[in-house]
Amino acid sequence: MNGVNIFPNIWRFIGLTIVQVVILSKVALSANGYCNILVYPLFILFLPVQLATPAVVFLGFLIGITVDLLTGTPGVNASAGAMSGYARAVLLHRYAPRGGYTAKEPIPAPAYFGWRWFIIVAAIFFGVHITWYFSMAYFTPVYLLKQILPQSALAWALTMIIVLLYTRLFHPKI
Amino acid sequence: MHSIIQLFIRHGGLLTLVVLEVVCFYLISTFNDPQRQISSASWTKYSGQFLQWKTDWLDYLGLKEQNERLRNQVAELGTQLTNARLIAVPRRDTFVFQATVDSLHRNFTRPEYILLPAQVISNTISGSNNWLMINRGRRDGVQPNTGVISADGLVGIVRYVSDDFAMVMSVLHRQTKISAALKKYAYFGSLVWEGNKPQIMTLTDIPSHLKVRKGDTVEVSRYSLMFPPGHLAGTVDSAYLQPGSNFLSILVQLSQHPAAFNHVYVVNNKFSGQIDSLQQLVKDERR
Repeated sequence: MNGVNIFPNIWRFIGLTIVQVVILSKVALSANGYCNILVYPLFILFLPVQLATPAVVFLGFLIGITVDLLTGTPGVNASAGAMSGYARAVLLHRYAPRGGYTAKEPIPAPAYFGWRWFIIVAAIFFGVHITWYFSMAYFTPVYLLKQILPQSALAWALTMIIVLLYTRLFHPKI
Repeated sequence: MHSIIQLFIRHGGLLTLVVLEVVCFYLISTFNDPQRQISSASWTKYSGQFLQWKTDWLDYLGLKEQNERLRNQVAELGTQLTNARLIAVPRRDTFVFQATVDSLHRNFTRPEYILLPAQVISNTISGSNNWLMINRGRRDGVQPNTGVISADGLVGIVRYVSDDFAMVMSVLHRQTKISAALKKYAYFGSLVWEGNKPQIMTLTDIPSHLKVRKGDTVEVSRYSLMFPPGHLAGTVDSAYLQPGSNFLSILVQLSQHPAAFNHVYVVNNKFSGQIDSLQQLVKDERR
């Protein structure tokens, strides 16, 4: 991480975890799973582009297990976090700009790659994360069509609104 | 070592993912109640299936040997049957008559054994009193105190019976006592297990004047009620004089190794009921 400022990442880690645990998980619990918004993966998405894949996967696991321990579901969010950490590496590789990434684009944000690019990447990224999350939460393919997929679709739509609002509001550059 | 590092550089992300996901699966299926129930149910289901596959596969591997033995047995039985039909003289003992009417024009009683095939599903040989279980029970016609044999030799005596299974006291049990005889002499004795090696039983009460050689055949005696007379038991290994008596103790090498019980036959004697009740009368009288 040559010259990359790590503090914004630390703040995102703490801030998103608190928002997730204090507000959104409580809302999800009281709405019986039908208003499940997962914002903490934004931390994973906004990690530095140059960060090695194993580190991203591990940090995804780390924020997931942190949320898990605070909400009492050990392993569920951690599994989704690690999975989306790897998915991010694949996505960034697939949607790499011509000529590859340079030091001028420290994080995958719309400030550097445009809104169109960001919405595509974020949509797939959160799609993977949320589907995996619900698969782990139900832990059996029996509920796939009746619960996992519809709930994932709903959670994904709600989460994308919050994610776009967040990105528009804070417009993260580092 | 170098190639391992190369592998990690190329696929480090994937490796990290796999390791962490394994950890997560462990955490999920250990600390979350609904998921734990789901995973343990699945585990039971699939491990049962796996064990079934394993059993099927082992059965398949043993088929050739089983087939060989069954063919030999069929041949042997065929021979006996033919002999029994053709030879119209008392063949084995006063019990086994080949004609239905004797010289006094009285009806004979023929002994009748019905062999019920069964499979051994559990077996021990290491204890001082060993038991085995077979997959036949009351519903199949198994009764307590009937003998169990294999094609090669002796197996044990049925003691406890449930609807579908039976517990068999192995020949390697201190209470097992089988009436056996040396094939070349008319003398009989008791075949017991003294807790030695699993394949060695002891034939007691054989008079010491008999010349016993290593390799002599020992078979079920004609007085046995549970086992078919003449069924092979084993061969003489060595003999010694019992101290202070006139009888030999003969160590018998069993022809059926107790560690290899698999396909066995429960011997149902048609007349065991009658014989038992007669013996019971004698016992009651003694009291």
